[in-house]
Amino acid sequence: MKVLIVEDEKTLAYEIGEFLKKAFYVCDLAHTYQEGAEKIALNKYDFILIDLGLPDGDGLDILRKAKKYNEEAAYIILTARGNLDDRITGLDLGADDYLSKPFYLLELQSRMHAIARRKFKLQDELLPLGAFRIDLPKRLILFDNTPIDLSRKEFDLLSYLLLHKNRVLTRMQLSEHIWGSYAIDENDSNYIDAHIKNIRKKLGVWANTEWLETVRGVGYRIKL
Amino acid sequence: MKLSNKLLLFTSCSKLIIVIIFILILPLLVQHIASQYTNYILEQQKRKVLIDLKRNGLNYYLQGDTEYGSYTMLKEEYIAIEPTSADLHLDNIKESKRIVENDTLNYRILSFTFQDKGQAYLLEIGKTVNSINQYNKPLQRFTLYTLIVLIALTLIIDLTFLRLVIQPLRKIIRMRLFNRKFPFKDQQPLIKTSTSDFRYLDESLLILMNQVNEAFEKEKEFTANASHELMTPISILQSKMENLLSEDELDEALARHIVEMMKTLTRLKKISGSLLLISRIDNEQFAKSDVVYPKDLIQDVIEELAIKLEEKQIESISKLTINKRLTNVNKDLLFHLFYNLINNAIKFNVDRGQIVIQDAMLNTDYYEIIIQDTGIGIDEKQLPLIFDRFKKSGNADNMGYGLGLTIVKSICNYHHIQLHVQSIKGRGSTFKLLFFN
Repeated sequence: MKVLIVEDEKTLAYEIGEFLKKAFYVCDLAHTYQEGAEKIALNKYDFILIDLGLPDGDGLDILRKAKKYNEEAAYIILTARGNLDDRITGLDLGADDYLSKPFYLLELQSRMHAIARRKFKLQDELLPLGAFRIDLPKRLILFDNTPIDLSRKEFDLLSYLLLHKNRVLTRMQLSEHIWGSYAIDENDSNYIDAHIKNIRKKLGVWANTEWLETVRGVGYRIKL
Repeated sequence: MKLSNKLLLFTSCSKLIIVIIFILILPLLVQHIASQYTNYILEQQKRKVLIDLKRNGLNYYLQGDTEYGSYTMLKEEYIAIEPTSADLHLDNIKESKRIVENDTLNYRILSFTFQDKGQAYLLEIGKTVNSINQYNKPLQRFTLYTLIVLIALTLIIDLTFLRLVIQPLRKIIRMRLFNRKFPFKDQQPLIKTSTSDFRYLDESLLILMNQVNEAFEKEKEFTANASHELMTPISILQSKMENLLSEDELDEALARHIVEMMKTLTRLKKISGSLLLISRIDNEQFAKSDVVYPKDLIQDVIEELAIKLEEKQIESISKLTINKRLTNVNKDLLFHLFYNLINNAIKFNVDRGQIVIQDAMLNTDYYEIIIQDTGIGIDEKQLPLIFDRFKKSGNADNMGYGLGLTIVKSICNYHHIQLHVQSIKGRGSTFKLLFFN
């Protein structure tokens, strides 16, 4: 899928691009309002990521313009402003999601994944996870058609790990995903361990959970 | 004590002292005047007699007798001329007793000796002491009454004038200081007064308030800008680290180093995020248009924190009985508020401790939520400081209060929620939130 990243911080744009390339997205970068507007007029994109604070214009204007040329694309607003009005205006103008800087690239990817599933009507199938299967839209984990009772946070954690399978996720990344930004306690990430312990205990009753690995000093990984 | 009361007390006291002094010296004064006046009258009478003697001769009085005496009907006054020895020389006034028709009376007597045709005579003019002092009492009383009336009159005038003069000061206190909510947003006009001191005070207060406002605005702006400007570099660093971590064939030790860096960065991110949040609340950038049922909201918060409760085996008892509906609030901020308070109640609790959350309607206007924990408590000296930014608890374990309670305080201020804390060191803390309907 093709992504346009309109972001005036070149290093950040580059890092986002690099990350998404690994996830098999094709990325185009634009560092100014002008550049962004031109690229939108010339090309078709599946995703357009827009930073609101551009040096030569308002990102919200790009969003307005882009909607004309590229109606099918999914739009995600990236901003350090965090202003409530911006958020509301952005979503009113048809943005699909909104991420406040600093965000984890993993989070960006999973938001894009969610939008893609919804917007491009990707086939939802039961994802295999060892001896289990996961139904994301229904938020269920099944063993031989028997649903297993996981708490909301445990399910969020497991599905997030599964979405980024074969990659080590740090406690910070996981913690921000399941608790969001209101968790201001820097030690919150330690509680990820407790959740993982619970998940292992609950699933371990049915089958082995070797695929859920602890990477010492780093974090957790689902290896499939 | 209020200045007006002080002045009232002072003027009343000073006048009272003057009255007392006056009452004490009044009898002496009146007596002195009466006595002086009597002496003067006696002298006048003596002069009159001497003039008569010169004009008419002594015989005019004696009528052939060797002596002359006359007194008024009630014996209050008398006059006598009698021969005396030639070597007696008198010209004085003194009090002495005289027997008049068998009555012994106290007289003030003027004695004067003079010569007439070779014979020495003594002239005595007397006035009873009683008659001298007979007007003293009524005179004293009259003077006293007049004085009291005059004093009362001046007191009334003083007080009226005082009120008038002090009025601008009262206005300054009422308008500038009393019930003023910080920050002072509404620009107020100068208070009219002809007293230059008050004008100076008022002007200085206005200038000070403006300076405080400006400093506050600048601080808010700085916090917002600084934390906002930090977000972009943090973003870049974080993205770089994430990309590094997702490299294939990453060395295990290196990965651990990167995670350590990420941890530190997370700390920086949380601090700037919190500062930004506080400045956004203080800048009123959150809409207050939600309807919130605290009972449900707190249930959500507890669910959110379930894993922490479980880890420390803390029992949370929610005794919320009133299904209170709060309007014109911001749901996200109230979530933050309860999240931080309950999070602290867990964080500073002991293992297998307890958290009790209850509510009550205090009267029709006030709704109260109490969050009580069995934690380590807060030192009495620290209690006033816990809402300040970056204050440390001073414990050996170095658990700081950080910014959580500062955020709580900001949210409370923004929603006009009164927040009270009680704590006993080693026993636990109680946070009371008072919502006004």
